Amino acid sequence: MFSMPLLKREMKASNKLLIIFIYILTIYILSMVFLYDPQKSSIMDDMAKSMPGVMKAFGMVAGTGSLVGFIASYLYGFIILMFPIVFIIILANKLVAGYVDRGSMAYLLATPNKRVKLALTQALCLWVNIVMLTAYATIALIICSALLHPGLLNIGKAIMLNLILMVLHLAVSGICFFASCISNDTKRSFTIGAGVPIIFYLIQAVANMGGKLADLKYFTLYSLFSPNDIIAGKSQIAQVLVLAVVAVVFYALGIFIFSKKDVPV
Amino acid sequence: MNVIEVKQLTKDYGNKKGVFDVDLTVKKGEVFGFLGPNGAGKTTTIRHLMGFIHPDKGQCFINGMDCSKQQEIIQQKLGYLPGEIAFMEDMTGIKFIKFIAEMKGIKDFSRAQELIDMFSLDPNGKIKRMSKGMKQKIGIVCAFMNDSDVIILDEPTSGLDPLMQNKFLELVLAEKEKGKTIFMSSHIFDEIERTCDRTAIIKEGHIVAVENLKTLSQSKRKSYVITFATEDMAASFAKEGYEIKETHGNQITVTHKGNVKPLIHTLDKYEVTALDVKTQSLEELFMHYYGGEDHV
Repeated sequence: MFSMPLLKREMKASNKLLIIFIYILTIYILSMVFLYDPQKSSIMDDMAKSMPGVMKAFGMVAGTGSLVGFIASYLYGFIILMFPIVFIIILANKLVAGYVDRGSMAYLLATPNKRVKLALTQALCLWVNIVMLTAYATIALIICSALLHPGLLNIGKAIMLNLILMVLHLAVSGICFFASCISNDTKRSFTIGAGVPIIFYLIQAVANMGGKLADLKYFTLYSLFSPNDIIAGKSQIAQVLVLAVVAVVFYALGIFIFSKKDVPV
Repeated sequence: MNVIEVKQLTKDYGNKKGVFDVDLTVKKGEVFGFLGPNGAGKTTTIRHLMGFIHPDKGQCFINGMDCSKQQEIIQQKLGYLPGEIAFMEDMTGIKFIKFIAEMKGIKDFSRAQELIDMFSLDPNGKIKRMSKGMKQKIGIVCAFMNDSDVIILDEPTSGLDPLMQNKFLELVLAEKEKGKTIFMSSHIFDEIERTCDRTAIIKEGHIVAVENLKTLSQSKRKSYVITFATEDMAASFAKEGYEIKETHGNQITVTHKGNVKPLIHTLDKYEVTALDVKTQSLEELFMHYYGGEDHV
């Protein structure tokens, strides 16, 4: 199923990138938790009220007053949604198309391993990295809250928020990995693998404006992740199912195409 | 027994690029050369053998297995040196070699170490910082370290200095002694002549000749460029009945096959100031196929 030596090598090679994103997330999580004030409305709420249009586009609406509501709105509306997607775009592109583009895929293909096994290993590396980044964000959020606002964070809801976001990230990574598998150069891989998630985001931003434009939410995956609905306790089963199907379909299709195509190395 | 079989292999990239109806067979224990300039279709043929790309028409087999379907089984007993050097640049040389060894399931690293020593390679630096020759050596170590039965080499000596080229040719001959089957593409005549049993010449995607190098060398006609002291001497030598190819003042080019003793005896009568030998080589043969009509 998987090649252990390859997984080990890839985990090591993606280490640096993961650490950079862990730094970025740490800074944002820490400062957002710091900005929360349980007594009165925070700076962020004031901003959301003074320029609702802009803030709404970023998925930020004045929260419910609880810490987890504040976080859901200001942290999960943009930062923790999009930064890991940038990480996924870079890594997914590198894992398959990067090797084909540079020609070093020849060495991997010249080993007694099926192409499906090689591609599955690269996919697994992406999954492990996504899980680690999500786990890190969750733990960082819990620790920061415990230090700055002890006892105020609804940990159950915070974990739920992160879990569903992780499923969204897995689905998006499926698209990026698919792009990487079908491309023989990184240019094409990036065009699709970065283009689609960015277009999704733009659609989402427009759909957030509400009114007639709200229907656009059917054209982006991100609308399936609604932090405020999760906090409100609404059922997310349908959303998670759709995301899971998207992930499975794109990974399967990408790996299948890679196993059959001509690799010019 | 045929270890490598290419049947009617066709891959059309358009614009006359690709390979067309290529038929080749390489027997067990044979060193087979594959000669042609850049863009003639050498690497395309090799990519088919490796199962990287799939033919439009025709098939290739290694040890009776279809190259585009049973690639992972064929790879168990195959060594490969890509024509383009591209490694995982972030690794050190030794880490890369060990990584490839693990990927190939090689438990015994002693052969790799032997090869590293043979090519006096220092594999500890980062690959990014290595010269072309150093990288080529790493590729060679990776191709030969698993003691495979079949070895496919795409322009193996590019980037190597003359000393290392020699070492490499020695390695090929030693592997041949062990009964390995080697398929080697090249555009260097000398290395093909020194190592190969047979060689195919490819031109614009078509095989134009498959030559047995032993018969080629036996049938070799040699040309002797003889410079005489005077033009008179040259003129009288011309009447001796040798096959004169060219006369140029006091210089005569004679083609001669087999024993040279009679020629030497004849020359003894004259005052010869210089004598050069030109061998009809693979190169001439190659030029014969390539120097043809549509080379404008």
